[in-house]
Amino acid sequence: MTDGIKRREFLKVLGVSGAGATMTGCGAGDVERLIPYVVAPEEITPGVATWYATTCGGCSAQCGMWVRTREGRAVKVEGNPDHPVSEGGLCSRGHATLQHLYNPDRFAGPMIREGTRLRQGTWDEAERLLAARIGTLGNVMFVGGHMGPTLSGLVDRFLSGVGGTRVAYDAVSDAPLREATRIAYGVDGLPTYDIGAAKLLLSFGNDFIDSGASPVAHNKGLAHMSAVDAEGHEKGRFVYLGARLSVTGLNADEWIPIRPGSEAAVALGMASAIAGPNATGPYANLLQAYNTESAAAAAGVSEESIRTLAERFVSEGPSLAMGPGVGAHHRNATAANLAVLILNDVAGNVGRTVTIGGGPTASASKFSDMTAAIGAMAAGRVGVAIVHGTNPAYSLPAASGFQAAFDEVPFKVSFASAMDETAAMADLILPDRHFLESWGDSMPKAGVMAIQQPVMQAVPHFDSKQAGDLLLAVSAHLGNDLGAATFYEYLRGAHQAQHTTAMGPFEETWRAALRTGAVSHAMAATTGASVLRAPDAALTFDVPAFDGDGDLTLMVYPSPRFGGGEFSNSPWMQELPDPVSKITWHSWLEMNPTTAEARGLREGDIVTVTSPHGAVDVPVWIYPGIREDAVALAMGGGHTDMGRWATGNGVNALDLLPATAEQPSGAFVTLATTVNVVSTGVRRRLATIDGSEGDQHDRPIAPAVALADLGHEEEEHADEGHGELMELQGFGGIKPVPAEGGAPSAFPLPGTDHGPYAVAHEGPRWAMAIDLDKCTGCSACVTACHAENNVPWVGEQQVIMGRDMNWVRIERYYEHIDATQAGDLDVRFLPMICQHCGNAPCEPVCPVFATYHTPEGVNAQVYNRCVGTRYCANNCPYKVRVFNWYRYTDENVPEPMNWQWNPDVTVRTNGVMEKCSFCMQRIRESENRAALEEGRDVRDGEIVPACQQSCPAEAIVFGNIRDPNSRVSEVVANERTYRVLDELINTQPAVNYLKKVTFHEVSGGHE
Amino acid sequence: MKKHWLIGGLAGVFALAGLAFVQGGGAEGEAATAAASGQPIAFPHNQHAGNEPGQNNMDCQFCHFSAERSVDAGIPPVSTCWGCHQIVQGTTAAQQQEIAKIGGYVERGEPIPWVRMYKISDHAHFPHMRHINAGLECQQCHGEVQTMTEITTRTGLARVFIGADPVWGGDNMGWCVECHRQPDPATGEQQASTDCAVCHY
Repeated sequence: MTDGIKRREFLKVLGVSGAGATMTGCGAGDVERLIPYVVAPEEITPGVATWYATTCGGCSAQCGMWVRTREGRAVKVEGNPDHPVSEGGLCSRGHATLQHLYNPDRFAGPMIREGTRLRQGTWDEAERLLAARIGTLGNVMFVGGHMGPTLSGLVDRFLSGVGGTRVAYDAVSDAPLREATRIAYGVDGLPTYDIGAAKLLLSFGNDFIDSGASPVAHNKGLAHMSAVDAEGHEKGRFVYLGARLSVTGLNADEWIPIRPGSEAAVALGMASAIAGPNATGPYANLLQAYNTESAAAAAGVSEESIRTLAERFVSEGPSLAMGPGVGAHHRNATAANLAVLILNDVAGNVGRTVTIGGGPTASASKFSDMTAAIGAMAAGRVGVAIVHGTNPAYSLPAASGFQAAFDEVPFKVSFASAMDETAAMADLILPDRHFLESWGDSMPKAGVMAIQQPVMQAVPHFDSKQAGDLLLAVSAHLGNDLGAATFYEYLRGAHQAQHTTAMGPFEETWRAALRTGAVSHAMAATTGASVLRAPDAALTFDVPAFDGDGDLTLMVYPSPRFGGGEFSNSPWMQELPDPVSKITWHSWLEMNPTTAEARGLREGDIVTVTSPHGAVDVPVWIYPGIREDAVALAMGGGHTDMGRWATGNGVNALDLLPATAEQPSGAFVTLATTVNVVSTGVRRRLATIDGSEGDQHDRPIAPAVALADLGHEEEEHADEGHGELMELQGFGGIKPVPAEGGAPSAFPLPGTDHGPYAVAHEGPRWAMAIDLDKCTGCSACVTACHAENNVPWVGEQQVIMGRDMNWVRIERYYEHIDATQAGDLDVRFLPMICQHCGNAPCEPVCPVFATYHTPEGVNAQVYNRCVGTRYCANNCPYKVRVFNWYRYTDENVPEPMNWQWNPDVTVRTNGVMEKCSFCMQRIRESENRAALEEGRDVRDGEIVPACQQSCPAEAIVFGNIRDPNSRVSEVVANERTYRVLDELINTQPAVNYLKKVTFHEVSGGHE
Repeated sequence: MKKHWLIGGLAGVFALAGLAFVQGGGAEGEAATAAASGQPIAFPHNQHAGNEPGQNNMDCQFCHFSAERSVDAGIPPVSTCWGCHQIVQGTTAAQQQEIAKIGGYVERGEPIPWVRMYKISDHAHFPHMRHINAGLECQQCHGEVQTMTEITTRTGLARVFIGADPVWGGDNMGWCVECHRQPDPATGEQQASTDCAVCHY
């Protein structure tokens, strides 16, 4: 520095001037205050998290949940590994329930209609009003979604007190499977699937990861089934039969793209081939009527593929077949589910991988009950209609007549805690508490009881009241004492009443349930008879008729992000790239490339989709994972009145559907109609994060290895090199570098310059292993990361501009996907996070040393040093650095949504680069705890990053790779281990991936 | 050296441009001047923690209860004050007047809105318990609080603009690092890490 100016001096001068600006810029009014408690709660230490176990109320799966609270606020939810059903892990929607808790669109208090307006009233006023109306109008009808057993019992008692009726209604339900199980085995309840124990899994359009009875548990089961692990677990095969690949389907090893509605024909054809001509039992005649030829004809696939599958269904057992889920509820869905049960039965799976009875208690409500209720409302036979935990005005098509009928009811009451389409019509809104603020219980399956406990005081911005408390109060106003003043007393009393002395003292059982989150009751799962019975209902197993004369069948499916639309007002869910399409915020129509080409449609072309029941305008997304004769649209878009993030986003797929109940189950039919698709001539950019249309462009980003090659991969590929990559050298940019000294634990590398950290030391090197054979692409980690690390959402326009802020994104690559015939399916998912390169390209280009390497091998980002040059993001080959273009954390986050922020993580503002930190705050917290406990070292497995904690598939392992005994070292010591682009650019990442294992041969380039 | 002035001038322009940017940044200047009279109760630390005759020689952590087990030292709840001051009413009229205020807060169920004197920037994390458990005295950072009637100095910036003598480094990272760099008496190596990500994450 000959000119005498050094960088530091420059910054010093600048710093002082900046401080001067601070001094003059401040007003006198903003003194920062320290607000202590008046009386400190015993269980709270400021700065130390308090954890509570409770039950997730996000959907009817009722997974176990741990909730992290800081100073009395819930800041993060996690999966409870001790829960007997979900066993750790939590889905994206589970995480997003936190945003329902702090949703700024929640009602400030009970709302009473005055003319066209809603006025905020007091609870006493609201209770008296409801009691008075019940007294004068009578004929109470309670329309309720899924709820815990004790609250459900209370509703029944309340209704019997006032002489009312009750209708169960959920937008998404498993009624056909439940009905099929009843017909086949005489057992009322869903069967239990042991996916993890299967060796050959067939899904007939059952999207068990996306939605269904227990997504987290089923996801875990699938990962376990399909994984190759060190213990020599034999890899199971997953075959998907359906017209469209959901994220569940994308995990299949084979895809048989059968025609929509042909599930029953295929299952019976297979069962017939297995049972042979001498089939016995009540369905012998039925089996004789079907064979593999008829199945192939109905499904539009080759006869050979079905015959072979039938043979393997027995020979490669234990096998398991799952019948159509909500996305494939057509007019013969019960028959299809029954056919699949018969298939399981003839293959000997019942009692092995399928247990009749004792299954999840998830929703199996019937749309047909709702139709009857609509009739009663329209006929004026309902005086007071009470809606709880469901939103039929949105989730039923206009053709159902719900809105018109509901409008006829003299007094309409909603328990919605925030505005939705049904509440908008109500005369009285009694905002219910969020499940994290209230008491309750759950029975996710028979024999398992879990208590839902409040983890914090109710969010003070909203004067809410738990539905149970309200029902007790109104009942008391009406002169019916239900035996408890509060729902807590009622709940505890109900559990005490069920308690037997054999279970030990009640107090201990109760406390244990609160502490661990669940207790397995002695009342063990009652497994019903497993002998097929003759059907007591007339069923048609043929492909059902579809409405209209369109040339494309419309598939409407529950969104993995929004469910049936309940999660549409969560910005995390809106901005979470859809696991399949990678599109955020808006709706899209999935269309096969051939179909699109034939119509001259390109991606982003807005088309008018017309069915006999309605029409919507929606952009096209080209998807090779859907049959040429079908198009698909997700539920959850097109809300008209549901808060700031949901309203007006996308289209409501239900506008295209008729209001048809399937017979005999009474389920709402989602696969009902054909559509015509006509271009509007308008085109838009999709808000997607998918940059390469699912193509790896011959780069080994997400390679795979064939099962047959495992064990002797090295000699086969030793001299292969990356020939096609050599072309890049012509441009002088990328040269393959010998990765010497590149063992995952090697850091710092010989010859690299890490300043004072270059000296060898004994500390840990934090590293991660991600098993791509387990990863199902469900995207739970993405939302978990947003919640943990205060990652903001940016909005649709910013995503379109490529400014999405995900610290982890799930890349999805199609290697082999063919919608025209049965065959191998190869789609790769790769969770891409900061690779924490030992030789990081981002570090040398930062002019202010804001990004650098810690002695522990973590590529750190120092926010307060960052001046926002974005050179680092430019130089990152993994595109994992994201930039705060605006004040997303100020402007996008209204009070009290900011209550969710993790106080252990800096909230970034505009002009700052950020990226995955390996959850540095969790590393520090574990270190602090270890230091306090007699200065011990951090134990292996003690540090669990948010993504790993949330992963239902257990695909992610984090730890110290310098310790040869750590779990991450053990996992990484595997022939499947590779590091993304490492051979190419010698970045020496700390994130190690384990290649996906395929049954088929992997073709050369993308290996 | 002339170029320094050029840089200074440039920096001045930056500073002006940055005025709006830092508006919401904090309250350093205000607090430094208002501290003397700004507290809702004239709380004498020396009367409580001092060891002169007539003073009570209380341990800091009697009130700042979580310093050894949490990142936060803890501000005592009003009930802690009231625990003693229900009985201890003070001997002078001035004391009695201030102590009576506590009763008022207790009656109204309100927290006492103390003016914050010590604050580390939001982008830095300071775990109190690690420092206490490493054997540091509170005074090493906070100064001889047990001798102060009122805590008046606030940040390192106060030294530059007010001329007050800082007992703690506040937003001055060099002050933190200076201590972290000291050799460990046992090993001779530096006693605490100076890695950025130890505090900044």
